[in-house]
Amino acid sequence: MTRDPHQQAQEWIALTGVDGLGLDDAQHSQLQTHLRECDSCREYAEATGQVIRSLRSVPMAATPVLVRRTQARVRQHAQLLRQQRERLWMVGVACAGIGFSAAVTLPLMWRVFSWLGAWAGVSNPVWETGFTVFVIAPALLVSVLLLVRGTHVTDASGRWQH
Amino acid sequence: MNAAALYFVNGMESETSAIARGLRRRDPDLLDRLIEQYQHRLLRYLTYLTGHRELAEDLFQETWIRVLERGHQYDGKHEFSTWLFSVARHLCIDSMRKKNPVSLDGLLDDSNDARAPLDPVDIRPSALEVIAQHEHADRINAALTGIAAEYREAVVLRFQEGLTLDEIAAVTGAPLGTIKSRLYRGLNLLMPLLKGAQA
Repeated sequence: MTRDPHQQAQEWIALTGVDGLGLDDAQHSQLQTHLRECDSCREYAEATGQVIRSLRSVPMAATPVLVRRTQARVRQHAQLLRQQRERLWMVGVACAGIGFSAAVTLPLMWRVFSWLGAWAGVSNPVWETGFTVFVIAPALLVSVLLLVRGTHVTDASGRWQH
Repeated sequence: MNAAALYFVNGMESETSAIARGLRRRDPDLLDRLIEQYQHRLLRYLTYLTGHRELAEDLFQETWIRVLERGHQYDGKHEFSTWLFSVARHLCIDSMRKKNPVSLDGLLDDSNDARAPLDPVDIRPSALEVIAQHEHADRINAALTGIAAEYREAVVLRFQEGLTLDEIAAVTGAPLGTIKSRLYRGLNLLMPLLKGAQA
């Protein structure tokens, strides 16, 4: 089934503008031939050209104030992101340090508690419980203190507090 | 591909690659330059998309903040403007969803009196010329806001911003056939509305 040549021509005009840029050579030639022969499609092409000229005739500019304000906001935000990244990096280094320290000291502390348990004559579950409390007590204490002070690392939307 | 075309494509690729590298570094000087370079195109797109100058200015700023935050997602293989418009479009849709949970067509539901006229550039013409420019801009604005936002967007991206059909499809995330259809229908809807508003 062949397409209606008028509709085809009008679609090409609408999609590419009046100059037909974007059509291949055969389509361009076909369109030009059709426009020479068809008054209604030529009128459509002229109307399209007028619409496009109208659209392009309204220059709309961003004000210098808007541009400066945007640039300032972007720079400020970039600074904020940099600080966040540095903070995260420091937290990461601290976590790595703590992890390393824990890996080194925990076996030693385990031995110390074991020796203390034997020396004091208490059963294994007792000194093991003491060891567990000793290990998690600092973290528990800090968590309770932060909760009491109402301090949170992030706000309600999950953003970092500064 | 001939040598000139190859040179042009390579030049464009190196420029977009440089932008991508700068965005990954969050280079503030590059962002300053991009804001300057794309200020008019981006604001015009947002203004026609929303139909509100003030909202468009807010979204303009938010778009660049988003570009800063998500700059690493730009691959440098495509035109920067295509990616920029896509970011702006998503922000616009998010903003309208928060305001009014409807599709992009919901942009047309607001009352006309809340819509600021699209101010033409101040090039210090005479008072009468200023009035004529404002009236002309108002007529075109009224015509554009009189068609569905999806058609308006396609027409603006194609004939004002000069994007190719493929680029418009990339910005909007719609299939090429849909873009062609929107463009054709949008233009046909605009024609009667713009009669008498010619420059």
